[in-house]
Amino acid sequence: MTTSFRIAIVGSGPAGLSAAARAAQLGLSHVLLEKTDHLSDTIYKYQKGKHVMATPAQLVLRSDMSFEAGKREMVLGTWDQGADALKVNVTRNAEVTAISGAKGDFTLTLKNGETISAENVILAIGTQGNPNLMPCEGAALPHVQYQLDDPGEYVDEHITVIGAGDAGIENALGLAADPEQGNIVTIVNRTADFARAKSANVKLLEEARANGRMNVMPETTPALVEQGWLTLDTRDGQQRIRCDRIIARMGSAAPRAFVEGCGIEFSSPDREAFPRLSPQFESSAPGIYVIGALAGYPLIKHCMNQGHDVVEFINGNAALKPADEPILEAKFKGLPDRRSVDEWLEFLRANVEIFHELSPLQMREFMLDSEVAFYRAGSSIFERNEPGDSLFAIASGSVLVQISPTDPSITVPIGTGSIFGEVGLISGRPRGATIRTAADSILVEVPRMAALKLMATVPAAKRAILRISIERQLLQVFGSGLTSADLVEVIETAEVKNVKAGESIITEGEEGRDIFVIRQGSMVVEKKVGGHPLFLSYVPAGSYVGEMALIDGGPRTATVRAAIKSEVIRIDGDAFARLLAAKPDLLAKAKRDMAGRQQVNDFIEAKKEGFGGAVDMYSSVASFLVDNGIGEATDVLIIDEKLCVGCDNCERACADSHEGLSRLDREAGRTYAHLHVPTSCRHCEHPHCMADCPPNAIHRGPDGEVFIDDTCIGCGNCQRNCPYGVIRMEKVPPPKPSLLNWLFTGRGPGPGEPSRSWTNDRVSPETPKLAVKCDMCSGIEGGPACVRACPTGAAIRVAPEELLNVARLEREL
Amino acid sequence: MSFVLRSVSTSAQGREIVRTTRIDKDRLSIGRAPDSDVHLTDLAVALHHARVERRGDRLMIQAETGLFVALNGGKTNAGVIELAAGGDLRIGSHLLRFLPKAADTDDISVSLERVSEGEGKLDRDADRLFTLASVLPGKRAMAWLLVAAVLVVGLALPIKAWHDRQQRTAQFARFQADELWSSGHLSKGHANLQQNCGACHVTPFESVRDTACKTCHAKVHDHASPFRLARATPNQSGWASFQLSVKQAFNLPPGRCVDCHKEHEGPLDMAPTPQAFCSACHTDLKDRLPDAHIGDAADFERAHPEFRPTLISGWTGEKAQLRRLSLVQKPKEASGLKFPHALHLDKLGGVAQMGRRLGMGPQLDCTNCHRPEPSGAGFQPVEMERDCAACHSLDFARSGGTIRTLRHGDPAQLVAELRDFYGLRSAPLPPSLSPFARRTPGDAPALQERIQFNQGARLPGADAAIRSVFSRGGACYDCHTIDAPPPGSLDFRVHPVALSTRYLPHGWFDHRAHATQSCASCHGAAQSSSSSDLLIPGIATCRTCHGGESTAKPVASTCAMCHDYHAKEGAPTMIVRRLVRGQRRDAGIVQAKVSR
Amino acid sequence: MASGGISRTKLGEGASHESFLRHRNFRWLKIALTVCLVAILAYAMIDVQPRPNGGSAYGYLLGTIGALLILWLSLLGLRKRAMTSGSWSLKGWTSAHVYLGLSLVVIATLHTGFQLGWNIHTLAYALMMLVIASGVYGIIVYAVLPTQLSDSRAEMTRPQMVEAVAKFDTQLQTAAQPLSHDDAALVRDAFGEDPFRAGLIRRLSGRDARSSTEAALQAMRRRLAVTTGPEAAALDGVVTLLERKSAALERIRRHLRIRALLEVWLYMHVPLTFALIAALAAHIISVFFYW
Repeated sequence: MTTSFRIAIVGSGPAGLSAAARAAQLGLSHVLLEKTDHLSDTIYKYQKGKHVMATPAQLVLRSDMSFEAGKREMVLGTWDQGADALKVNVTRNAEVTAISGAKGDFTLTLKNGETISAENVILAIGTQGNPNLMPCEGAALPHVQYQLDDPGEYVDEHITVIGAGDAGIENALGLAADPEQGNIVTIVNRTADFARAKSANVKLLEEARANGRMNVMPETTPALVEQGWLTLDTRDGQQRIRCDRIIARMGSAAPRAFVEGCGIEFSSPDREAFPRLSPQFESSAPGIYVIGALAGYPLIKHCMNQGHDVVEFINGNAALKPADEPILEAKFKGLPDRRSVDEWLEFLRANVEIFHELSPLQMREFMLDSEVAFYRAGSSIFERNEPGDSLFAIASGSVLVQISPTDPSITVPIGTGSIFGEVGLISGRPRGATIRTAADSILVEVPRMAALKLMATVPAAKRAILRISIERQLLQVFGSGLTSADLVEVIETAEVKNVKAGESIITEGEEGRDIFVIRQGSMVVEKKVGGHPLFLSYVPAGSYVGEMALIDGGPRTATVRAAIKSEVIRIDGDAFARLLAAKPDLLAKAKRDMAGRQQVNDFIEAKKEGFGGAVDMYSSVASFLVDNGIGEATDVLIIDEKLCVGCDNCERACADSHEGLSRLDREAGRTYAHLHVPTSCRHCEHPHCMADCPPNAIHRGPDGEVFIDDTCIGCGNCQRNCPYGVIRMEKVPPPKPSLLNWLFTGRGPGPGEPSRSWTNDRVSPETPKLAVKCDMCSGIEGGPACVRACPTGAAIRVAPEELLNVARLEREL
Repeated sequence: MSFVLRSVSTSAQGREIVRTTRIDKDRLSIGRAPDSDVHLTDLAVALHHARVERRGDRLMIQAETGLFVALNGGKTNAGVIELAAGGDLRIGSHLLRFLPKAADTDDISVSLERVSEGEGKLDRDADRLFTLASVLPGKRAMAWLLVAAVLVVGLALPIKAWHDRQQRTAQFARFQADELWSSGHLSKGHANLQQNCGACHVTPFESVRDTACKTCHAKVHDHASPFRLARATPNQSGWASFQLSVKQAFNLPPGRCVDCHKEHEGPLDMAPTPQAFCSACHTDLKDRLPDAHIGDAADFERAHPEFRPTLISGWTGEKAQLRRLSLVQKPKEASGLKFPHALHLDKLGGVAQMGRRLGMGPQLDCTNCHRPEPSGAGFQPVEMERDCAACHSLDFARSGGTIRTLRHGDPAQLVAELRDFYGLRSAPLPPSLSPFARRTPGDAPALQERIQFNQGARLPGADAAIRSVFSRGGACYDCHTIDAPPPGSLDFRVHPVALSTRYLPHGWFDHRAHATQSCASCHGAAQSSSSSDLLIPGIATCRTCHGGESTAKPVASTCAMCHDYHAKEGAPTMIVRRLVRGQRRDAGIVQAKVSR
Repeated sequence: MASGGISRTKLGEGASHESFLRHRNFRWLKIALTVCLVAILAYAMIDVQPRPNGGSAYGYLLGTIGALLILWLSLLGLRKRAMTSGSWSLKGWTSAHVYLGLSLVVIATLHTGFQLGWNIHTLAYALMMLVIASGVYGIIVYAVLPTQLSDSRAEMTRPQMVEAVAKFDTQLQTAAQPLSHDDAALVRDAFGEDPFRAGLIRRLSGRDARSSTEAALQAMRRRLAVTTGPEAAALDGVVTLLERKSAALERIRRHLRIRALLEVWLYMHVPLTFALIAALAAHIISVFFYW
């Protein structure tokens, strides 16, 4: 049988719930469809007692559901009550498998075959998607589960975890952690390696396997699931193992397929892309509205506001202004002539090339993240070598780029509609040139995250940025009075190439004349001497390699391989040769650079004869450092264990200058030749931690430091994403008794990070854990505390170039 | 007829895990061996440790021989549990609790749990474990302890000692805590004060004052009146004035005894005062004290005035006038004597011959007449009878065995004696005029008469003798200056005589110290033909050997060598102390002299 | 590269891991030497009557300098722990601490004028010398031991070392199950072993004669030699585990030893410093009390 509603809301997350609540409030006939047996599954799946944040703080909540920061249970509780109080019409265990029909008469087919018809549909299904099912017979059996809430509740069971992603490994480890539980845990992985998992997790897994707490079966797939038994296809034939419980963690399929199935278009094929929406959240399929995370709004407050708004829209309330209106008004207040928010948005969209493709809604959302400001002529936007990874777009006016480091008079203009600062954005390196406004200008500053999101969602923008950035980068790299005109041919031939860590772009001895400009990441130059590779030099992003073979001819003289995952611009040798021919002073510059490198190579090889040991040491130390991620670092803490007495004063200093939590672990980390790389942030060129931060709380500061601001919601994504394990999730301890007090009476925990127990005794268990990481002590006069507080001079902070500089070798010989 | 075994364990999260097994036997084997009914993984348990057998309403517990179990807390090898009551059986770290059997069932339920972790888990704060803090007493505690100890010994006790002394309760014989504050031994002179800090350090936080010194050193002569001293001391400037102001700030008034007499420098003598201490004022004293009767002096060698001996400049009647005159003025001395040193010291002259006759060696030398004082520092005054009379005899007649000599030192008597001498040889007096006749009242005219007789009876012999004694060639005339009487009269006047005993009262000269030198090397007696010559050598003479405090000359001489701050006649303290410290044998004598 | 507040070491400036001894190319050593030289010269020049002592003007000067120096030096403990902002470097402080501290030997000795005795003043002097002596030891170990410290831990953190031992215990627990009662007893003793129970002496020595693990290992080896069959297999497993464990213990002991050597002097240096300050106070007060 089918029942018809004015609005069908799919997904009972914050967005859906809020929408339903609004509908109920307005007395519209509605139904809220939740696929599980409880509301807002995503938050329900948070670990117990997790603190849920209410950000952004400045955004007013506009919903019939109340919501404030608090523990998971509390939040869910209030929503359940709210739903009951408002008599929201919820249908649980109702997973929508398909939506057909058109505005006014949609048919929603449920998993159990029922159908529901509705005039409007609000999709608020979030991005969680559905877990991939076991691709074999018996997948439906009750002892197959797709998530693990509490590993502690299973005892004496044979448990098999399928899929060795991070989730799978973490579950398996959790189940096998406590021998008392006597579980026999098996983890099954389709491939031979654990490429998808974090190295830290893989190490733990190997360890567990080594001491027999768990058996690991790589290159294995489930074949048949029976009660109490599981048959597996292994490399050598089938195998039947006891199995009382199966935890299948094989990732989840993004809901995109389903959404597109409903006839909704996305802004681009990118994975990160979002549906194209109208200012009223209406998708390209009329009558279907998309809100919440699926629409690109991961924060609860946004979701709830949208839920409220969208229902208002459907209910015909066109006058309603979005809740973020005041924020935008504030942003535009500084601009010269009075315009409404919408006018401004339109103005920017029209004037800036890369914004053309944006929908008004996207534009609005985009401007929430970005800043716009008015600059008088001649004011400096940023200086050469100043760190910064934001992108600037010129909405009106124009700017001048000072391309020569020495003579500010040599400038290149950039006009209205274009962008600048993209090199910093892409290479993650400090600004390559100083930029001043030529005329009074209105500039939009797009933070890194927003820019990346833009590129992901709007292909046109991506293309534009790419083209401009390549051209600019070449201009910057080769400099010497080139103009974009000269580069036309080169750029045509240029192609952007991704290089995996360790992969080599130039191989010693091979033929080849192409030039490579390093766009992202960094390279190491090696030369085979006596059979084994000898580290010659380290090439950071923003420089080029391969000119030797081109100018001198002959085979490649050295191997260039990526220190980390990098991106290079490959330029056709011949085209570049022609350019060189045309531009004598460019040739001269190239020759100079080449001579310089040649010198280093010769020097090292010469030394190699005499002081083999020293050079080997230098070389191996260098490669050790590169292996430890120095390649992508902008600033790294190194401890010389020839001097370190292990007093841990660095850690104490760190804790004491940062609300009592140390951001560095001195002992942890690799050591080579008494050169120790402790566990502390390297401030990567492309910080992995920034990749997925819901409140976008991670930024690069004025000194190049990567820091987490106080909007952190403690989700722990950054911690998971950091390959170097330098981010901790901790409760901030309360202030300690004064130092003198401790010194003389011994009261309090003393300097440094107080013991966990001390903290736990004093802070309520409710207080959220927040992510803490090194911020290079920015804003603290005197600089990094760890270095200042080292009594013996063992700890230093260096930029990789400095560390991998051959000058070191020269000094040491 | 079976056991229901509920083995209880707790998971890491503290969750209780219960595993229930049913054993359908009436005897349980307990042990570490996997095949035992109750399998205990505790290594404290033997492979086959004990058996539990059910007999009716009781459980017979039997441990393997040599092994033990704890039954209801008592260690035993075998025992019994009443099913109705139940009981605890402990083996190793495991506790088997046999619950009282419920009436309705025949099963015996047994709960098994591990009561104590067998192995020592290292689950403490690792980083602390590695520090010595986990095995040594804390630095803080040690620090406070030491601080307390030091403060008690070094501060509290001494202050107490001081306080006791205030209360007069402390006797100085034995050790006093505040001796810990003594920065060094007292000088020998003050050795007896070692235990009595309060003797000098009278009031706390007030520097040692002269009053403290004067309680013992009562008779010490002041250098000058405080007012003159104050005027004499130059206005300090620069570093000196800074020092002075610092001293003032720390309440160290200048010019205290202890400024020169430093103490706590070990059991030594107090060292001589450095020259600078004197020269500070005396270099240019006249500028500040114009009326000072002494000249400016800074250094004996470079800046010291010529000596100004005190000598007899002349006579007013019988009284000799003493004056200090600088040798520069070549002063003459009017001793009233005639004594040509040259004549007496002449090797060939009659004097020498006479000396030889009298057995005084080949010729006269100074020692024939000048006899040193016992101390040898100075000389005894010359005496006529002892030092001159040997040659200059006053004999004039012999009567029988006795030799009559002229009286010395009283010319009138001498005249009288001479008259008598000659008068007795003249006409005897008529008895009526005899001087020996008894006087009766009313015979005054007779006395008168007798004197007239005497006068009338003067003989020419007496007059001649008198005249000759006083005139050239006469005994008196040799040495004395004599005024002749008016013609016809006989009363000759002999000028009075005085010899000065000490020419340089403010300085000190010790002849003994110069015994190695001949007298002539300083005193030009051999050339002096008149007794009015002053034979005190000039400063130049001294300077041939004596230099300043720091000098190339053989003898470095500070002011203290000849002068004494606490002015007194006699040797300066420095010299005395040197003598007293036994560098000379005749110490005792000198002290005697000094205390004169 | 570096900008704003961040002070990054420029290896180009040759400052690559410049130790506190070589700080700023021996700046403080030079300063300290100059101070000593001046002090000694002045001592020779100024002729204090009757003989040099702390009571002379120069004596008081030296004394004041020395006292202030001592107070300042003792502030290192505070500086090290008070992470105030400001561009100070603890390395610089340590460097100054070391060299100026050593210069005290000269300054204070001249202050005494070589007059020592059984009194509070000499006590202060003696304490100071002790503090300095312990400090000298500190300098030496700080110069020599870090390399060994680094080697001894072989990229392991302290908690890891402890865990390693605990891990072997749990493995032994299971491996020893089949063993006979007596053998099991031996193994159980091995569990008890706690390398951290070692007192100062044993820590400094770095070995433990009565290591129960070692004892158990020997006993097991003997048993293994004479047993056969399945029990031998079990014994073999236990022996290997025991070997591993005693190796792990060995590492801990080595680490403990080096750490002890690096720390022990502070247990003299710091308390004596406080005693010194107390004695100094008494010294000064006494001087003014009996002024």
